[in-house]
Amino acid sequence: MTFRVAPGKLGTRMLDVWVAGAGMTRIGRHSETLQHLMAEAAHAALAMADLERPDAIVVAAMNPEEFVGDGNFASNAATHMGFADVPAIRIETATSSGAAALYAGFAEIAAGLRRHVLVVGGEKMTHVPTPRVSELIGRSIDPYERSYGATMPALAGLVTRALIARHGVSLRELAQVSVKNHANAARNPYAHFPHAVTLEAVMESRMVADPLRLLHCCPISDGAAAVVLTAERARVRIAGIGQGTDTLAVRHRDDLTSFRATRAATQAAFAMAGFGPARVDFVELHDAFASFELIALEDIGLVPPGKAGRATLDGETMLDGRLPVNPSGGLKARGHPLAATGLAQVVECVWQLTGRAEGRQLEGHVALAHSIGGLATNNWVTLLETS
Amino acid sequence: MLETIAASRCPRCLAIVAPPAAYCPHHPVAMTPTSLPGIGEIISFTTLHSPPEGFRSPLHIALVQLEGGARFVCHGAEVRGLRIGSSVAIEAIDNIYYFSHLGALDRARLFWRRTGHAGDRINAIARSLVKRGWRRRERADR
Repeated sequence: MTFRVAPGKLGTRMLDVWVAGAGMTRIGRHSETLQHLMAEAAHAALAMADLERPDAIVVAAMNPEEFVGDGNFASNAATHMGFADVPAIRIETATSSGAAALYAGFAEIAAGLRRHVLVVGGEKMTHVPTPRVSELIGRSIDPYERSYGATMPALAGLVTRALIARHGVSLRELAQVSVKNHANAARNPYAHFPHAVTLEAVMESRMVADPLRLLHCCPISDGAAAVVLTAERARVRIAGIGQGTDTLAVRHRDDLTSFRATRAATQAAFAMAGFGPARVDFVELHDAFASFELIALEDIGLVPPGKAGRATLDGETMLDGRLPVNPSGGLKARGHPLAATGLAQVVECVWQLTGRAEGRQLEGHVALAHSIGGLATNNWVTLLETS
Repeated sequence: MLETIAASRCPRCLAIVAPPAAYCPHHPVAMTPTSLPGIGEIISFTTLHSPPEGFRSPLHIALVQLEGGARFVCHGAEVRGLRIGSSVAIEAIDNIYYFSHLGALDRARLFWRRTGHAGDRINAIARSLVKRGWRRRERADR
């Protein structure tokens, strides 16, 4: 057994945690049930790990009670996939639930409580009318702000306008985030929208929450993703994982153009890993809205403050750029099935690190995944490293 | 007449939030009630073109930095000419708060309001001067 001393946490001894398997469904519209999508992702991850049965299961689902009408979802999913006898728990931190579930699984192994943990997340929403989906996602917003009609796009609209005013981000730079992510998704057979879009199409798409347009915003998707974590040495190690939080209400924050939750999660993840952003080769970021990708690049320290828009327009974040961002297509084009997303990002990173990302394969040893819960109230940063 | 907005203050960090909250978002201590005048500065704003059920399109939502501390979310009837940093007054209609854009004159009035009666007279003089200047410009335009 190898013990690791976590820097900054004197006396804390943790076991190394490895990712042995990663699998997911195609993201998009599905007729299968949510538990069935989760089973498909889970079985794919277990097959890659060459593991028949995990010791424990962690399930992420943001709101299956409302979206599909089923509750007690840890037991529901575990039973459906043939693991009624395996202890299962459910984790929820709004739209970052998948990343939070990864943390729970990580903690179980790092603490020595389990050897092999299956972490699976999913959501099924496309069968629900769009205004209802908006309302259900919006329930993660502060109730007072919601009483004024604030939805996720509305609050993201406030953030985006402030970002444009403060950092001089241009509308072309903003649109280029979507263009780049769609171009990446065109190479990903698992993506919801595997096709390119032009800068003009983004800039002329329907206005949703001024200055945010339709093609700046992620779609409503179905899908599931899963990873198998293990205490036994594998190709990819979780080098660091960090959580950061902020006030539920956006009006209780001093700054709209930077997310405290991302900064805190970043700090925690890098402190655990013992290295900094310079070591990161490629990233999967939570681009629910185009501006969020720009903010995350700066909050994580991957791009100097105020330079994310320019770097994007200059192609630095493209597949062949200095720092590829969202090789999967991101939330914008791979799709955003809520609780699946945090894990789908990790699946993409693991596939990239192990040479399984056919058609969009990158070189690199260190990947970073960043997931936002709510309007950046509960964020996660995960660092994955090949041994 | 200025609107008074109910708020609360954290006895530990002195942060103010509006509307009032039971506990400070950053400290586990009960907040004490206070109030703020309904004027402030636009932090950001947006217009929703397909607002949620129960709201009419277009729906203008703004985040306002109130004079005296808290940030406040409110509606507005109009965003033409509105910018980040614009001064706004906040008014409650049926318990819903709305912002309205303050012009130079309104700002002068708010400033002079604090100087009392003498301020009113100076304010009236300023108003007539501005009006005269405006008419002259209109004439020149023709």
